[in-house]
Amino acid sequence: MPILPADPEITEEARIGVYVCHCGLNIAGTVNCEEVAEFAATLPHVVVAKDHRYTCSDQGQELIKNDIKNSDLNRIVVASCSPRLHELTFRKTCEEAGLNKYLFEMANIREHCSWVHHHDKEAATEKAKDLVRAAVAKATLLESEIETVVPINRKALVIGGGVAGIQAALDLADTGYKVFVVEKQPSIGGRMAQIDKTFPTMDCSICILAPKMSDVGHHPNIELYTNSEVQEVKGYIGNFTVKVLKKPRYITDECSACNDCSEACPIAAPNEFDVGLATRKAIFTPFAQAVPSTYIIDRDLCLNEEGIMTCDKCIEACERQAIDFDMKPETIELQVGTIVVATGAEVSDPTRFTNYGYTRYPNVITSLEFERLINAGGPSSGNLVRPSDMKIPKTVAFIQCVGSRSKKGNPYCSNVCCMNTVKDSLLIKEHWPDVKIYVFYLDMRAFGKGFEDLYRRAKEAGVMFIRGLPAEVVEDPKTHNLWVIGENTLQKEIYKINLDLVILSVGIEPCKDSDAIQRLFTLSRTSDGFFMEAHPKLKPVDAPTGGVFLAGCAESPKDIKDSVTQASAAAARAGILMAQGKVTVEAITPKPILENCRICGMCAQVCPYNAIVVDKEAKSVQVIDAACAGCGTCGAECQFEALHMRHFTDNQIRSQIDALTEEDADTKIIAFCCNWCAYAGADFAGVSRIQYPPNVRIIRTMCSGRVSSTFIEHAFARGAGAVLVAGCHPGDCHYIDANYQTQRRVERLWKKMARLDVDTDRLQLLWASAAEGERIATKIREMQSVLAKLKPEGVEKATKAFEGR
Amino acid sequence: MTPQKLWRKPLDAEKIGLPKAEIHVITDLCKGCDFCIEFCPKKVLEKSNKLNKRGAYPPKVVDEDNCALCSFCTAICPEFAVFTIEKERREGSESGEKQ
Repeated sequence: MPILPADPEITEEARIGVYVCHCGLNIAGTVNCEEVAEFAATLPHVVVAKDHRYTCSDQGQELIKNDIKNSDLNRIVVASCSPRLHELTFRKTCEEAGLNKYLFEMANIREHCSWVHHHDKEAATEKAKDLVRAAVAKATLLESEIETVVPINRKALVIGGGVAGIQAALDLADTGYKVFVVEKQPSIGGRMAQIDKTFPTMDCSICILAPKMSDVGHHPNIELYTNSEVQEVKGYIGNFTVKVLKKPRYITDECSACNDCSEACPIAAPNEFDVGLATRKAIFTPFAQAVPSTYIIDRDLCLNEEGIMTCDKCIEACERQAIDFDMKPETIELQVGTIVVATGAEVSDPTRFTNYGYTRYPNVITSLEFERLINAGGPSSGNLVRPSDMKIPKTVAFIQCVGSRSKKGNPYCSNVCCMNTVKDSLLIKEHWPDVKIYVFYLDMRAFGKGFEDLYRRAKEAGVMFIRGLPAEVVEDPKTHNLWVIGENTLQKEIYKINLDLVILSVGIEPCKDSDAIQRLFTLSRTSDGFFMEAHPKLKPVDAPTGGVFLAGCAESPKDIKDSVTQASAAAARAGILMAQGKVTVEAITPKPILENCRICGMCAQVCPYNAIVVDKEAKSVQVIDAACAGCGTCGAECQFEALHMRHFTDNQIRSQIDALTEEDADTKIIAFCCNWCAYAGADFAGVSRIQYPPNVRIIRTMCSGRVSSTFIEHAFARGAGAVLVAGCHPGDCHYIDANYQTQRRVERLWKKMARLDVDTDRLQLLWASAAEGERIATKIREMQSVLAKLKPEGVEKATKAFEGR
Repeated sequence: MTPQKLWRKPLDAEKIGLPKAEIHVITDLCKGCDFCIEFCPKKVLEKSNKLNKRGAYPPKVVDEDNCALCSFCTAICPEFAVFTIEKERREGSESGEKQ
């Protein structure tokens, strides 16, 4: 073992109290707790060792507190349930007795022992002893830590001015915080502004949105940047510096939105707001209710190129002289404490479904085009016309799940299309009761408040719902009518129906610039491409990056109500941070040991949060505590023992390995499990009472990225039979992508083992989520065969090969 | 607003009433500097192959329908040899004549 720098601040001699919990019969039913406590008393530095029926009860906690005072204890070990359950409880107990909370350690003898080895009481008791031994060994080396306090700037940034961004901005501004809203488009409003009516209450979409848009425009606490994009984000929770590129509109504040310029402009093009169903000029306002209520010049379309003014019709028409072709892009720097990402989504492109003929047949339209057609302010003044002859159709069909729930499109359900179609069908029936409407679906999902009612109303109104998506849409070239052919899977018969208009109910997709946003904020995305929340149940609006929150369709497809709900939640979460004005960072961040450091910069390279600043010239390494999440992959990468990973130090983890390999090491599996997935998965195996062999010993690290290859080598040098490294699935890492480092390190070690003629099967890598208890148990069962074929010579070979690691 | 491809012909494409141009080139005034051809944002002019009295090749109109009536050719012509006038608004015009 290399000589490691002594852990600083351990000056006093450790006086450890060990408390073995019965948890009623949950633990005591399998593990002999008295025996474990007696064993604990024999361990070095242990002053007090007791067993107790319920250690987490008030009495149990009082017992610990009294012992700390009376027996002068300075380290506490509780052997009970998972630290994921009660670490906080006991840390608080320690603090109440005047002990630093980082001087507490837990041994998980319930989820990882008694619950999963019901039928082997002896082995379970031995395992519990081992786990206590490891906890005591780590506790001996624990250090008291002071948590860093970071101030929070009381200003917020909202990215995206759709309904989610609007709601988040208004809530934050009304609470009293300064809010900056950055919107890429010339107007806020987002998708909701394009929609005609909303389900299930059939409110007019723009009528309920426009007042909110106008509030954003006029709120004294809100500064609105439209036609602008976030270019750069630096900093960390509470202290972000954001660079915003404000692109020129070429219109000054003098504009009164009179439309004279647009009248005069000689250039027209399809209007994005109307999905190309209407025209706009090169100088235009996106829609009547736009906020800010002003115009913009589309320089890609305008005749005036950079430096050459060929056409001045708009300038001549503008009485207020509000047009300024000399405007230049501006970069604005904002200092904010919290950020709400509400960047929205896009509708999926149906052209890839060639069997539906979108863009080949004029009378096949998308649901978004439908919204513009049925809208009274739209290009057809609210008349549902078919594009080929501008006549009102007599038979209409909706095709559901276009781009959703399929291999060809997106695998997920887009959440809103079923109810949107139900709403749309009722709208048609309202205006033209005689129109015959078919809806071809896979499943109709009417799960929300008032949804089923609306669905029933549509059925009562005579809308025909047919299960089974059409295989094909074929056009009659003369009439431009459409034949829709498919199978009715409920009646087991083929349908072939002639229709005037077909509406493709298109799904929702992540924004194309999600990549850029992801990089700016170091966010993670799910396999579907939507931004991932910090916890799917309990932190559904927090991004994994501190101080960043998610709202609206950027997080997942959702309807207006859910977007607004989530936006208010995000605003409240951001508000909590700003109201407190400061935040404490868990003291599990690294401290550089400059004497050992060779300024190689590897730590900064693997850091998923850019939290390490290495200055090669000034020979300095700085850890930004507030940006660091404590995964420890930097510590595992450092070859020179120059990063002291607080609370998960090299020495502490090695002491755990030493303790667990003290007896019968060759029969044991040393498992390194990340706190968020694998360790939680092993906890879940316990909760589910999934039984597996008792010879596995789990060491918890925050991330599998913390597992340095020297830890694994050390375990083999100590004679461990096998080693398992388990972390989150690739792409699901709680620390963005730190587990890719794990994979790289394990793969490198496999090569090394092969070179040294050590059986590579003895090192296993497993990706398991917090819900995959069975997967972990299966792996442990499988690994028994590795141990079975292990011969003493093999163990010795590895011990020799890795000696001194 | 959307990066999605806008492929449909707008329903109001025929109705928006863009002005229609009549381009007049006074060929014998032209000295062949080609400024009008060069700077026309819609590229409605081309060099002709007929010599004029001044020994220059004046421009000819190739795409009158596409003229946006910006009149930049008139403004830039050093010899006052080209001018545009607005014919009538296109069919279905709602805004009517506007000079």
